[in-house]
Amino acid sequence: MRMRVGVLLGVVVALVLLVASAQAGTKRPAVTNVTLAGWSSGPDEDTLLQQVVNTFNSTHPSIHATLSIINGDYPTAMTARFAAHTPPDVFYVDSSVAGSWVKQGVLEPLNSFIKASKFNTKAFFPKLLGAFTVGKTIYGFPKDWSPLAMEINKGMLGKAGGKAPKTWAQLQQVAQTMASNNVVPGGKPICLSADWARMLAFIYQNKGSLSTLTSPASIAAVNFYVGLMNKGLAATPDKLGSGWCGEALGKQKAAIIFEGNWLLPFMKSTYPGVQYGIFPMIKNKTGGNLAFTVSYSMAKDSSNKQAAWTLLSWLTGRAGQKLWVSKGLALPSRSDVKAIGGRQAFLSAAPYARGWGFANPFFANAYTVMGNDLNAVIAGSKSVASMMSDVSSALKGG
Amino acid sequence: MTLEAAAAAEPFIPGRARSDVARKAILYGLIVCVALLFFVPFLWTLVTSFKTIPDSINVHLVPHPWTTSAWRAMWTQYDFKLYIKNSFFLAVVITLANIVLGGLGGYAFARLKFPGREVLFLIVLGTLMVPDQLRFIPIFVMLTNWHLIGNFSGYILINLVTATNLFFMRQYFLTIPKDFEEAAKLDGAGYLKTFWRVMLPLALPAISALVILQFQGTWNDFVWPLILFGQGNTAHYTVQLGLASLNFQYTTLWPQICAGSIIAILPILAIFLAFQRYFVSGVVSAGVKG
Amino acid sequence: MNAISDSVRAPVRSSMRGVKVREALWGYGFAGLPMAVFGIFFIYPLGYAVYISFFHWGILGHQPGAAGTYNYAKVLHDPVFHTALKNIGEYTLGVVPLEMTLGLSLALLINQKIRGRNFIRSAFYFPSIASSVAITTIALYILNSDGLFNRIIGSHTPWFTTASTATWAIVGLNAWTTSGTIMLYYLAGLQAISNDVYEAAALDNTGAWRTFWRITFPLLRPAHFFVLVVFGVGALKLFDQSYIVSGGSGGPNYATYTPVLYIYREAFSNFDFGVAAAAGIVYFVIIFVLTVVQRLTVGRPEAA
Repeated sequence: MRMRVGVLLGVVVALVLLVASAQAGTKRPAVTNVTLAGWSSGPDEDTLLQQVVNTFNSTHPSIHATLSIINGDYPTAMTARFAAHTPPDVFYVDSSVAGSWVKQGVLEPLNSFIKASKFNTKAFFPKLLGAFTVGKTIYGFPKDWSPLAMEINKGMLGKAGGKAPKTWAQLQQVAQTMASNNVVPGGKPICLSADWARMLAFIYQNKGSLSTLTSPASIAAVNFYVGLMNKGLAATPDKLGSGWCGEALGKQKAAIIFEGNWLLPFMKSTYPGVQYGIFPMIKNKTGGNLAFTVSYSMAKDSSNKQAAWTLLSWLTGRAGQKLWVSKGLALPSRSDVKAIGGRQAFLSAAPYARGWGFANPFFANAYTVMGNDLNAVIAGSKSVASMMSDVSSALKGG
Repeated sequence: MTLEAAAAAEPFIPGRARSDVARKAILYGLIVCVALLFFVPFLWTLVTSFKTIPDSINVHLVPHPWTTSAWRAMWTQYDFKLYIKNSFFLAVVITLANIVLGGLGGYAFARLKFPGREVLFLIVLGTLMVPDQLRFIPIFVMLTNWHLIGNFSGYILINLVTATNLFFMRQYFLTIPKDFEEAAKLDGAGYLKTFWRVMLPLALPAISALVILQFQGTWNDFVWPLILFGQGNTAHYTVQLGLASLNFQYTTLWPQICAGSIIAILPILAIFLAFQRYFVSGVVSAGVKG
Repeated sequence: MNAISDSVRAPVRSSMRGVKVREALWGYGFAGLPMAVFGIFFIYPLGYAVYISFFHWGILGHQPGAAGTYNYAKVLHDPVFHTALKNIGEYTLGVVPLEMTLGLSLALLINQKIRGRNFIRSAFYFPSIASSVAITTIALYILNSDGLFNRIIGSHTPWFTTASTATWAIVGLNAWTTSGTIMLYYLAGLQAISNDVYEAAALDNTGAWRTFWRITFPLLRPAHFFVLVVFGVGALKLFDQSYIVSGGSGGPNYATYTPVLYIYREAFSNFDFGVAAAAGIVYFVIIFVLTVVQRLTVGRPEAA
């Protein structure tokens, strides 16, 4: 009897030990789930981003990052999630909304994480990092950037003398030649967006600025911009049957446009037959350009902050960024990552590029005023001076 | 006699017996033109869904070349299968809930007497006047506090019954002769049994109308799903959300959008074609007689 | 209405009262569930919006201290809100008569005894079936500056992005899509008019137009009222098309800015929920007053 109990006990103990050792042997580390959210400007980007996330997951077995692409209305979607206290852990923040999101308190300050893991922030271009910094607190790292450049249809440029313009005067001249020789049948030589996110570059080129909008220099720049349309040398994309100037270039309804790096994958997939050259942005009194950048930031309400930090710092670290810019969909925001070839025209803008919408908490509202007023100016129902004063007060929160 | 007969047969243009053929020809011509006008955009959508991307910017009604890549993308790349399943689930659940609750409420307001009935009914009508967008914020905050955001439950809860549907059922119940209820009463049926076994079956035309309208309403709902559960978690996407997500920032995939639009419309069309004969008679008695 | 309870004469009065009480209880029971839904998801949010409107309310909640009537003042003095009201007024005054006329005309057409009635009815109803997003996307494409429409009429105007035509483009679009539904309501109304009326008119040798105008049109009064209220309020709540067409900006030059878009932008773009709620309450009051005025002028329906 006792022996049987003893044997039984022994078997049980053995079994327990066996199971325990088996567990120990195959014990998996706990996996933390982290969510990553962003938008994409095209299906190519979707695929690439997923690839980047997959690479992260395979190199970080204790963290599993899930990607969700939010198209349609990213800010609204994110607002809903912030209010619900269920935001994604890591997500895109466009520089134009960074100011107001910081003000609303939905972004996690990163300084303590930076210090703890001794992350090197010096590699980021200071102007770009500055878009996501308020005072001394850093709220995100720029994941990439793009300025504007000038893209011209090669065939049409050839018919107009073959030399790309470098100044305002030359731009007008080339456009005039194109118009006189009907080089762009059914369209206009230049496509100009009714968008301050393009026109502001021209203001900077004339030595104007957002804080001196009512100055003669700024007003003259707008007059030049709108003047090109009034002279019949340029038109807004909707008048060229397009949603944006890139489409106009593709449809060959415009010869000269001003767009950023995002144009390249679009043209490649949608209008592969159109030959165009990329040239540096024109200048006038000085160089002027806009830097569009987006950060990876962490949510204040994230429940996995440490894992989120690992993801965030990898994505914007050397390895992650190298992978991201390898397809040429964007330019690196770090000085220790090289851009792929053929991007010289964009990179030469770096010294002149000023941030788009940086750090201003009233920017979202001001942008609506900008757009609506510019449309009115182009239609001739509003004066430039009136628009400038509207925008100035909107930027101050008025 | 012939004149009167002719007048009776042509309710709108009485007394004009001659030039019948010419008038009919003009009428038919007019109708065909209008019908074409209504159909051409959809025809174009269908055709564009079979075009390649560069070709889709042209307005021709014939693709060169034909391709089914947009449709394949719908199924593989964008998982419209799942979106359809989600939309269907929501539409069915919400429609059923509306039939039951709208029917109960409509019957009560039509046939049962209780103090304050008129005031309560005015409140019901009053809700028609509240713009959805005004409710966004408070409902959003409320559902957030109850942790019903991000999945279907919050959305279903707020759509269990609408004033329109209740109003509609009430109007229809008003037109049903009282004999049926009296007969049921004589048979000893209680209120619930009367409603369930007698009134609801009699309201079949109105219910069919409700099915079409509510199914369509839920199927086509865009903004509420966007706000309540459409945040990047594509597992919860409805067909409308899927369609909206085809608008990339810098690329417009027209063939895919057209294919998606067709997918969005087809189920509704199917339901309408199936129920339309009931629908008209339902709308007839409920909507307009007051 | 009292015919039933009178005919079922209960010998004991208390028993009759008992019946009435029971009926009332069942009434409350049946109506209770829907009323609960309305109460929780319409009345309560309305009240809550009123509450929110008195605070500075951001994404993560409200800042301490009430704001008093600050939000209301902000809304009422905002020129953009005024523009939105003007836009929606123009829009409603444009779209409602148009879609009613269109719907009525289609109903008249269909009411003739023609072959293929069912099929044609489906064709006319077709645009009403499609979703806002689908229809507007298609419309955006067709009304492009070099889209189908312009190819046919030989123009180059981008209809949705020109400030002077944007509203009318949306009017046209919406009138087209709702005309099918209105057609059905009018069809119903037409069925209700008995043939005797037309026979009498025929005997008097009344012409087609006079028959319609003097007889048919007035007899359709209940239909007119129903459509006017339901679709009038619907027009005042315009959001989807203006949002999609302008990309959310309400442009060009505020031409497509509607009050509901205003509420939406204040909430989800400027994160000022307090102002959004105030705007919502203000607009609700406006719609309410307009509906009451409609009821008093166009006339009371038979059995509301």
